Amino acid sequence: MKNKVGVFFCDCGGAINNIDFDAAVKKVAKFPGVTCVNLSSNLCLEEGEEKMLSCIKEENINRVVVAACSPDFKEHFFRQVLESAGLNGHLFSMANIREQGSWAHDGDITVKAVELIKMAVNRARLLQPVKKKKFPVNKDVLVVGGGFAAINAALQLSRVGLRTTLLEGEAVLGSETAELGGLCGFDIGSMVSEVEGDENIEILTSAEVRATAGKIGDFTVRIRKGGEEISHKYGAVVLATGYQTKLALESELKSDINIVSQEKLCRMLEDPNLEIRPRTIGFMFDFSDENSRLSTLATLNNALAARQKWDSEIYVFCKSVKVDSPRAEKLYREARDCGVVFLKCEARPRITADNGRVKIEAKDVFLGEDTILACDLLVAEELLLPSEGTEALSSLLNIRRDSRGFYQDENVHLYPVASEKKGIFFVGGCRGDLDLSRVLTDVPSVVASVYELLSSGNILAEVERVKADPQKCVACLTCIRVCPHDAIQLVRTDNSKEVAGISDLACDACGVCAAICPAKAIIFQGYRDEEILAQIETIGES
Amino acid sequence: MIIAERKPMAEIRQMIAPYKKLLLAGCATCVAVCWAGGEKEVGILASQLRLAQSKGRKKISVLEATVERQCEKEMVEELRDKVQEADAVLSLACGSGIQTMAEMFEDKPVFPAVNTTFIGMPEREGLWVEMCGACGDCFLDRTGGICPVVRCAKGLLNGPCGGTRKGGKCEIDPEKDCAWVLIYRRLEKQDRLDLMRQYYTPKNFRAVKRPGRIQSVKA
Amino acid sequence: MNKCIVAFCCEHSAYPAADLAGKLRLHYPESLRIIRVPCAGRVDVIHILKAFENGAVAVLVLGCEDGACHHITGNTRAKERVEYCNMLLKEIEADGSPVAMFNLSPNEPHKFVRAVNEITKRIKEPGR
Repeated sequence: MKNKVGVFFCDCGGAINNIDFDAAVKKVAKFPGVTCVNLSSNLCLEEGEEKMLSCIKEENINRVVVAACSPDFKEHFFRQVLESAGLNGHLFSMANIREQGSWAHDGDITVKAVELIKMAVNRARLLQPVKKKKFPVNKDVLVVGGGFAAINAALQLSRVGLRTTLLEGEAVLGSETAELGGLCGFDIGSMVSEVEGDENIEILTSAEVRATAGKIGDFTVRIRKGGEEISHKYGAVVLATGYQTKLALESELKSDINIVSQEKLCRMLEDPNLEIRPRTIGFMFDFSDENSRLSTLATLNNALAARQKWDSEIYVFCKSVKVDSPRAEKLYREARDCGVVFLKCEARPRITADNGRVKIEAKDVFLGEDTILACDLLVAEELLLPSEGTEALSSLLNIRRDSRGFYQDENVHLYPVASEKKGIFFVGGCRGDLDLSRVLTDVPSVVASVYELLSSGNILAEVERVKADPQKCVACLTCIRVCPHDAIQLVRTDNSKEVAGISDLACDACGVCAAICPAKAIIFQGYRDEEILAQIETIGES
Repeated sequence: MIIAERKPMAEIRQMIAPYKKLLLAGCATCVAVCWAGGEKEVGILASQLRLAQSKGRKKISVLEATVERQCEKEMVEELRDKVQEADAVLSLACGSGIQTMAEMFEDKPVFPAVNTTFIGMPEREGLWVEMCGACGDCFLDRTGGICPVVRCAKGLLNGPCGGTRKGGKCEIDPEKDCAWVLIYRRLEKQDRLDLMRQYYTPKNFRAVKRPGRIQSVKA
Repeated sequence: MNKCIVAFCCEHSAYPAADLAGKLRLHYPESLRIIRVPCAGRVDVIHILKAFENGAVAVLVLGCEDGACHHITGNTRAKERVEYCNMLLKEIEADGSPVAMFNLSPNEPHKFVRAVNEITKRIKEPGR
């Protein structure tokens, strides 16, 4: 049975004005497969929509082509019109004769428009329906980590009614962030109490992830705690494993009493029994890692604090001070007004130990001269690194990390708190260099996404939009290895043959598998080879 | 599986030069998996040949067909009609498949579009490495599952040769790992290093008569 | 000879960039035919060769910037296939028909137009 295509033209209220619509309609009406052609000025408005609906029903159309604006603009809308006419939304193709036709060229473009429509018609004739279905999902969430971001995430997830497991490797929650409490102005102790008192949150300390399997809505995680291993099922996983810092020092130098980390300086500032106040303090940052907001904030905060509390002479060595975090610019001005001296250096200063003091040699860009500073205390540059176990965990979950080893946060086209694998999210320092304000905005982002996915207990998704034909699949494993979203695994068919099975929930319909399959076994509705070739072969037919 | 590689285009064109109608025959098993001769590769080669002829060369017509396994007579039989239509057949299957085609259709020239190279596996996506030389006298039990016949450049049975380079690399091909270093390490993991001290007599290459013939017990 | 330029545009970058070019009334040759794909990684060698078989004079594959592919490796795979295609065309001395890959962001309509103009320049007249 040949398919019957209805073509609907729209001149977008006159916005398309260099096409001879009458001539175009006549030509299109003669295309094989086209049963009816309609012209409208406002297809996406109520009047146009009604005309479309009645035309579909009357002419028994089962494939629709709209020749008008860009599908990026109106494809979703027209798919719904089809659905309300009783047709599957996928039996639809759009010819972009506006943005990519009329508006892109001078003069009459009727010939091109007609060809674009023919491409769409020839594709539409081959389109197959794709159904949607509600897939039941597990509503529980696993949060891996036990620091500020993890605890925040667990609390917020609980508040929206999702049961959460907080999985921490250390014996105590918040142990790693406790030291930063003073700097960042939050009370980790009270947060931990709140989590402990929350019925919706299960806390597993001294525990680790040993294995994972499954896809979004149905992750099976094997957890090891106290020598025992248990499997739990979760709908989503949130990674909040944080970061660690390491002093960036030349190998000859050792961190000792007068070369310290920011954290150590914080403790010194809070120590009422501190014997000797350092009179001259040098800070270093921004040489090894030029993107560290945390280092910038910590330096500004601590430089100011040391100046105010100890009245020390403070010298900050850096390449530049990047003030894109909230409060940073204000802190910088305050620090300078207070008398903190900033030295802009192009190259990393040379540090040497010198008679119980620390000698810093640097060339300031503005002075143009070599400066030598002998100070009592050097707050050394710190590198921000992913926490231990980040690499192992990313292997277990089969997700990528960026060039610095943090969970992928460099690909800005991806929703920043989501991984390429659906159902796995990141929040906090494990994403890389984040100041607190970003963590505070990331957590509700993740919670909103997870809530949207899991709260109703099912996810509406397309069924077999991309499928490996079990007759043709030879289980060569290429698609499984190549899928960027880890959505494919080996499954057994009814007659026990092992073939590639694509998860409807985890698939992101990119077509990378369809292109690479050596047996051409993968059927990607809407972008099958025949559907793409139909468009290619139409070009230049006339 | 069997790994093959498409022949250089110049060689292919020389083979098919005298013919006007060609059937390109692919195989959906080993050569498809190693991206050398499956339906996709048939399509690509056919497209190339058609594009080549449009540049003012002699007009040829190109037919395409792929069978599940080109070394099975019943499956190759399916191609009979298409083969009749053509003047010559260009097969992208392994040597076994090509010869089956040639035998089934004796009156048609059947040409190899690929070189059948070795028995191997994918080390990673798109990288096929040789594992087995089909010597017919497997002794992987003694070498921790690593074959020195194929993976040692000198095919030594009692290696290493003493020329192993730094980092455990082969004297002859510094890009390769010395197979005997690999064997040693594997046996060490299994606590079977005593095997390294056993001496093995030269291989009996006559164990496999060429061409091989094996009669399985009828089920 | 259809004398068209076929451009495979990924829906995350090139397709919206082409739309934006239209909105800004940036003009490019009318002979361009855009085929929308979900990712440049969906484009296969055979699609490119078939475009030439049907008479196209040039083929463009347009995808996201390096490191910004929504599907991680789609754009790198497309690039490798385009290079492979160039090799296949060179083998049969058909390399006057250019195929090239360009990377861009969805808000770079000028880059889209530049890509089209660039590939047009590379088309060699038959016989040269």
